[in-house]
Amino acid sequence: MSLTHSTAIGARTELRATAPDGVRAARGFAPGVERSLGWLAPLALLTLWVATTRHASDGTAHVMVSPREVLDAARELAGSGELAAHVRASMGRLAVGFAVGASLGLAYGLVAGAFPAIRSLFGSTFHAIRQVPSIAFIPMLVLMFGVEETFKIVIVAKSTFFPVALATADGVRGVPRSFLDVARAYRVRGLNLLRYILLPATVPPIVTGLRIALGRSWMVLVAAEILAAESGLGQMMERGRQMLRLDVVLVGVLFTGVAGLALEEGMRLVERRLQRWRRA
Amino acid sequence: MTVPARIWTVVRSLLIPAALLGTWELLSRGGAAATYAFVPLRQVATAARTALSNGELIGNLIASAEHACLGLVAGGLAGLLLGACLGASRICDRILGPLFHGLRQVPLLGLAPLIGLSFGNGAGAKLLVIALAAFYPVALATAGGVRNVERAHLELGRALTLDRRQVFRHILLPAAAPAIASGFLQALAFAWLATIGSELLFTASAGLGSFMQQAEANGRMEMVIVGITAIALVGLAMNGLVIRAVHWLLPWHAVEQK
Repeated sequence: MSLTHSTAIGARTELRATAPDGVRAARGFAPGVERSLGWLAPLALLTLWVATTRHASDGTAHVMVSPREVLDAARELAGSGELAAHVRASMGRLAVGFAVGASLGLAYGLVAGAFPAIRSLFGSTFHAIRQVPSIAFIPMLVLMFGVEETFKIVIVAKSTFFPVALATADGVRGVPRSFLDVARAYRVRGLNLLRYILLPATVPPIVTGLRIALGRSWMVLVAAEILAAESGLGQMMERGRQMLRLDVVLVGVLFTGVAGLALEEGMRLVERRLQRWRRA
Repeated sequence: MTVPARIWTVVRSLLIPAALLGTWELLSRGGAAATYAFVPLRQVATAARTALSNGELIGNLIASAEHACLGLVAGGLAGLLLGACLGASRICDRILGPLFHGLRQVPLLGLAPLIGLSFGNGAGAKLLVIALAAFYPVALATAGGVRNVERAHLELGRALTLDRRQVFRHILLPAAAPAIASGFLQALAFAWLATIGSELLFTASAGLGSFMQQAEANGRMEMVIVGITAIALVGLAMNGLVIRAVHWLLPWHAVEQK
């Protein structure tokens, strides 16, 4: 037994020696060095950016701005409170729309997951509307609700509703029958059934659905703000474009990106916390 | 399934759409303001017939489908390349991975003002947005597919002294193909969304997005609805085509129809 084991390991080491160059090279690095490799590409890009914008003249200001100018623009926008106001406007819309869409999605998903009759009744309509890109509804919603807040909240709610409803329905349907059988055998009912069986089984997929929904709604909201808004990061970027202020546009791109990243990572954190038991 | 049961299934799936249409029609009769938002169905049907018969709808539809396909091919190939690098080479993954995952978080259509400023507002900008939309899912799926290739298969390849090209052709590619296929399927949905989005956000030219934008500007709700319906149908048709193509290319792999 031990002989075959060691031969297997021996064979594997030998194979490793003939592995592609990249793989072998990476194995040679200390973990810290390997992790810091990730900074290489962004640093290279930044250096390239600085180098190409060093001698830029005023004539090319709308296609080339230096990192320093972007930083100055960010400081200026932050100092005047403009940036904070735009971020607040965008996040407020996202929060309200997301809350509405997620609650409706949860409610529909729970009902549709639990009752096949509801599924077969609403399923085709649900999937038909779901596969239309949210952004295609913007012209219709603008005509219905005008360009004010309502249309943005409705579009965010719409793009939140579908992923959440889908994930919830799948989560509810995916509760293994054996869990329910065990629960019945132990006479677990009511609140205990919910607390110890149904919630742990369904919450992780629902949180994944919420994370996907949040990312999509954020993108759709920014697009809606670019198309028609008085405030918000999307509107800030669009006005920057119209005034040929590349620095302002880049500040906007930076902040929408950071906001997207923060929302995504925040949801991932929640997801990991809820799935701690899986790793054990 | 027996015949009456099948008929009942069809009827049941049509109940809700019928109820929704009925409600819409009822709402449209609630006065002038309501007629503006909820245009009567007859008006929508007339608009659809007009747009179909004068070729406006078909022309814009083909233009949009062309944009989407071009972007899907360009972005998909680039994604395939980067994904294969990220998946096959660990050093590549370490260097480019963090940048790739960071950039992925910037909402794509939020880049529209930047792209508009740097590349103009025309066809090039649209293609770039659509290609980017297709690029991310394909790169992600390819990297995952290549990374998850069976260790034993790779070891067999080495035991047979295959060179790198042969390993790629005979081991990595077939192993990653199902993941790549679902990546492309996802990319198609994103490319279609980006097509409509970029046509709405950039200067008007041929395309369903521009068609709807113009209808919105003219306050023609019935034309907007015709546009949405066309977008839904094209999306469905393209999805069906890609699923069929995947079945043909990878007959052993059943694509989950979602």
